[in-house]
Amino acid sequence: MAQVFWTWVAAFLTLAIFSFLYKDNPFYKFAEHIYVGSSAAFWFVYLWYFDIKPKLIDGWRYNTGFEKYILIIPAVLSIFMLMRFIRPLAWLSRWAIAFTVGMAAGLGITAALQGYLVPQIQATFLPLWVSKGSFWHSLGISINNFVLVLGTIVTIFYFYFSKEHKGTLGALSRAGIVFIMVAFGASFGYTVMARISLLIGRVYFLIHDWLHIV
Amino acid sequence: MKYIEKLAKIDRRIIYLILFLTVLLPYLFKISLPMKPLPEVVQAYREIDRLPAGSVVMISIDYDAASMPEVQPMLYAILRHCFSKDLKIIMLGHWPLGIPLGIAALEDVAKEYGKKYGEDYVFLGYRPGVAAVMINMGKEIRSVFREDYWGTPLDSLPMMRNVHTYDDIAILVGFEAGSTGDYWVQYAQARYNQKIILGGTAVVAPDWYPYLQSRQIVGLIGGLRGAADYENLVHHKALAYYGMTPQAAVHILIVIFIILGNIGYLALRRRK
Amino acid sequence: MKREVPIAITFISGVLLVIAFFIPHEPFGSLEQRFNDWYIIVSGFALILGIDSLLLHHWNKVSRRSKDWFHSLSLIIAFFVTLIWGFYSGIKTGHFLSAQSTFRQYFYMYVFVPLQATMFSLLAFFIASAAYRAFRADRFEAALLLFSAGIVMLGRVPLGNAVAPYMVGLVFLIFAYLLYSDGRKEVDPTRRYLKIGGAVLSLILIYPVGWFFLHYTAQTAGWIMNIPQLAAKRGIFVGIALGGIAMSLRIILGIEKTYLR
Repeated sequence: MAQVFWTWVAAFLTLAIFSFLYKDNPFYKFAEHIYVGSSAAFWFVYLWYFDIKPKLIDGWRYNTGFEKYILIIPAVLSIFMLMRFIRPLAWLSRWAIAFTVGMAAGLGITAALQGYLVPQIQATFLPLWVSKGSFWHSLGISINNFVLVLGTIVTIFYFYFSKEHKGTLGALSRAGIVFIMVAFGASFGYTVMARISLLIGRVYFLIHDWLHIV
Repeated sequence: MKYIEKLAKIDRRIIYLILFLTVLLPYLFKISLPMKPLPEVVQAYREIDRLPAGSVVMISIDYDAASMPEVQPMLYAILRHCFSKDLKIIMLGHWPLGIPLGIAALEDVAKEYGKKYGEDYVFLGYRPGVAAVMINMGKEIRSVFREDYWGTPLDSLPMMRNVHTYDDIAILVGFEAGSTGDYWVQYAQARYNQKIILGGTAVVAPDWYPYLQSRQIVGLIGGLRGAADYENLVHHKALAYYGMTPQAAVHILIVIFIILGNIGYLALRRRK
Repeated sequence: MKREVPIAITFISGVLLVIAFFIPHEPFGSLEQRFNDWYIIVSGFALILGIDSLLLHHWNKVSRRSKDWFHSLSLIIAFFVTLIWGFYSGIKTGHFLSAQSTFRQYFYMYVFVPLQATMFSLLAFFIASAAYRAFRADRFEAALLLFSAGIVMLGRVPLGNAVAPYMVGLVFLIFAYLLYSDGRKEVDPTRRYLKIGGAVLSLILIYPVGWFFLHYTAQTAGWIMNIPQLAAKRGIFVGIALGGIAMSLRIILGIEKTYLR
């Protein structure tokens, strides 16, 4: 019984949001505000169950000596973070923010270097003539490698803004725009695919879970 | 020319209605169409398929309900594949709002295959801090997750006794709807050489092709199509596979929309 | 205190991580691990910073009875109901997301999921409408983008090969018509014959191009994704990575201070 009731609730909310497609109306507004309000509360519940309780409270309970008392540092920083809500002490939250920003920056440098630049540039050093199987097969692979290398280089040139795009650089960056447009097109096609899939999911919910037509 | 100009001024709600019907009708007539799985999905399938029984697969839930129709079917298909091959699963996630979707799927499929919690699968849950979590797990999983999701210390779970770092994890499968997949590659793969398969929404999947070519990932499952391919490969056709028919219908419709829209636009421009 | 200390904290934490990366031995290795652990704790709190202003904003709307105050009230109620329900389920069943928790069974599955999923599925309608009204192939770049999008869209679904020839044929037909009608108005005879010739060529090309897409739409989509798309994305992300490194350095060295505002 509860299942049926809640399925109707879900269907009502789904249709309330879809009603926006006709025009903005109170049903949509209601559903939208419920969504925003409940997702905000969600973060609080998460913060408790996945952060404060296991990391701080249990950490304090189960650790001893140095490992226990060192937890005061992150606990204080965390409280500083919340000081943003108290105007006169708001400046303290900058300490906590500074810590997270510094960490993110430090982590970001090594990730970009080791995780992206080095392996990606390495993978671009492809042989421009590959001899594998028949002549036509080799030619196909070689052309693909050539296009890949060329495309990467000209795209990088397109984003090189330190010099005016004239002459050779101009030609390279014009070739770059061709690759960029093909890539944006492909990404756009994929984005359409993603959005449609979401609609398919909701339509399936309505006709399967709610109306039991299929 | 009058008709064409009228076409250019069609009300958006008519377009919405046509779209809605195009999704609905293929479902009502239960049409399904065959497809050959994409090579990047087959690659992911083979990587998991060749793992010996007992290997540990880590699954990361980095999406939420906003992309559930695309990613959830992938998760089900991979879980079925893993459990049918007696692989062990560790699940965690970086998107808190999607975590319950992960648990629900894990509990469903575990039940289907008669798997036991703690012996065949474990749920670790969520910790904030993405990159920091990934790096510290490379040193010791327990330094991030002292206990599992239910509060049981990891050492009391039989399957976790010998699992400490990425060295003990055969493959990591990240299910993504944002940039967390890039973090997995840039921290877990780059620093600790973890083998990674990424599955995710069609919005983020195109950005991963560079990783696939550089072998930073060993498989890519993108969008509903990728999910449908994986369902096909594990011989368990479900939501994604049957969703591909309305998907195809709508893609054709959108291409027709673009062409018609341009005809209308050209007609109007010529008039001026 | 208000400015120097944060800059020092940023510098120390950032530099430590970079050093620990290159020298992973003691004491840097364990220091890195400890800092990461603190980061895990502190960053959780950063996630809730926006919430107070959200609640305050809506509370003001309710207390002033301004337009739509009723919706603001439902937002606040939804916030507290979710909060209380979450903690109640957690206390009752051990964890707010346990299998027996009504919070997960009902609230999450039948309220939150439909709301979030439907909200985002609206985008399907907007993108369809945009396809019709906004995607104009009025320049070479735009035409290229749309062509690539069309091939990828058709190539990634079943029936794509069967449908693509008609779509491509239609595009060529339109192109031929445009060239022809332009050519007829042309005064200069050379340009006139070139354009009309182009129109004829477009018509002739419909057959071989259609044949190609009848057999190779799916492969072409795969090729676009794996070769030119990959190349451009790699170029773009290399640029982003370089920019990210520069930005991180500026932050660590205290040149970039906007985050302290």
